[in-house]
Amino acid sequence: MLRDDMRYAAARRDDGVRKISRLTWRAGAAGVICSAVIAVAFGHHAEARPAGPARPASGTIVIPAQPPAPAQGAGQVSSGAS
Amino acid sequence: MMTGSPAADTFGVFGTTAVLLVTGPGLLPRAREIADTELAAVDRACNRFRPDSEITRLNAAEGAAVGISELFAELIDAALRAARLTDGDVDPTCGRALSGLGYDRDFAELRAAGNVPGQPASPAPGWRRVHLDRDRARARLGGGAQLDLGATAKAWAADRCCELIARRLGCGALVSLGGDIAVAGPVPEGGWRVRVTDDHAAGPDAPGQTVAISSGGLATSSTTVRAWESGGRRVHHIIDPATGGPADSCWRTVSVTAGSCVDANTASTAAIIRSAGAVGWLSGSGLPARLVRADGTVQTTAGWPSDDGPAEAI
Repeated sequence: MLRDDMRYAAARRDDGVRKISRLTWRAGAAGVICSAVIAVAFGHHAEARPAGPARPASGTIVIPAQPPAPAQGAGQVSSGAS
Repeated sequence: MMTGSPAADTFGVFGTTAVLLVTGPGLLPRAREIADTELAAVDRACNRFRPDSEITRLNAAEGAAVGISELFAELIDAALRAARLTDGDVDPTCGRALSGLGYDRDFAELRAAGNVPGQPASPAPGWRRVHLDRDRARARLGGGAQLDLGATAKAWAADRCCELIARRLGCGALVSLGGDIAVAGPVPEGGWRVRVTDDHAAGPDAPGQTVAISSGGLATSSTTVRAWESGGRRVHHIIDPATGGPADSCWRTVSVTAGSCVDANTASTAAIIRSAGAVGWLSGSGLPARLVRADGTVQTTAGWPSDDGPAEAI
């Protein structure tokens, strides 16, 4: 009697594992298909963008990564009005 | 990453002097080719003295929508961003005001003409009159607005050239267009040394201060150089959109460093227009700046190093 119960429980467990496995495969396949659809739908937009420099942040004047450092002597270049 | 001494090329563009520095002498010709291509495209888009430019076509459209290139759309976008970030102090709709002061031709011609007739000033229509539709690649000017992108286009072009050169050639680069300076890529030993002065053409040891930068941009705005006689009085090119006349500023020259050259130029131009209010604004924004009064005294903000002259740091 006890042995039958154990066999039944093992069969139910194996059945559950198979169901989870099928679901995992289906979810994975759906993810791959969605990725392919998104790539086809929007990929050409990414290619169409000009290869220019990154645009600055739009919400504020961006401060420099570091303030200018003191330097001696003549400059390599001048900044003044033109 | 630090690297060795850069190679230099100097040439004329946009009625001013351009300087190109790259960290690799063999790369200079290719860097120059990239710069020439980009600068020619910017000139075709927004030189308001060229009859065949896009800006001339848009200004002549009398409020009708005009098809524009992606590049011109980017330039207009940069100008509108500058206006937005300065509450309209750096306004691209000052074209009519400049023409009214006689600045309707190349600056060399204007200076050679001597005293030119001037018209009474009136406030600029305002940047909100510029309608840019980037998705449909169209622009329209309302309220009689006339565009002048002089405050941002040169600096934007310096950023663009510099970044393209650094990225395509894998080197460090500095591009200066009339003193609007952008740097990108590996930095030479000790940084890029810049002489900050009133006139960019005055030479590397002109009165001023030498500083070193390693990223972003540095720009200087001044009322001292691009000035001429109009209607019997001395005027300059930095227009206060609130009046439509030359900005009446306590500063003769303002230099600013920022994350890009166009941002530095936006801030330095706004600082001239904001006059005494500029110091608090620059300090509050964390922008290192050097401001020179008419008498030559200097004030600095947000970590700009003090120089040898009489200085007050905020």
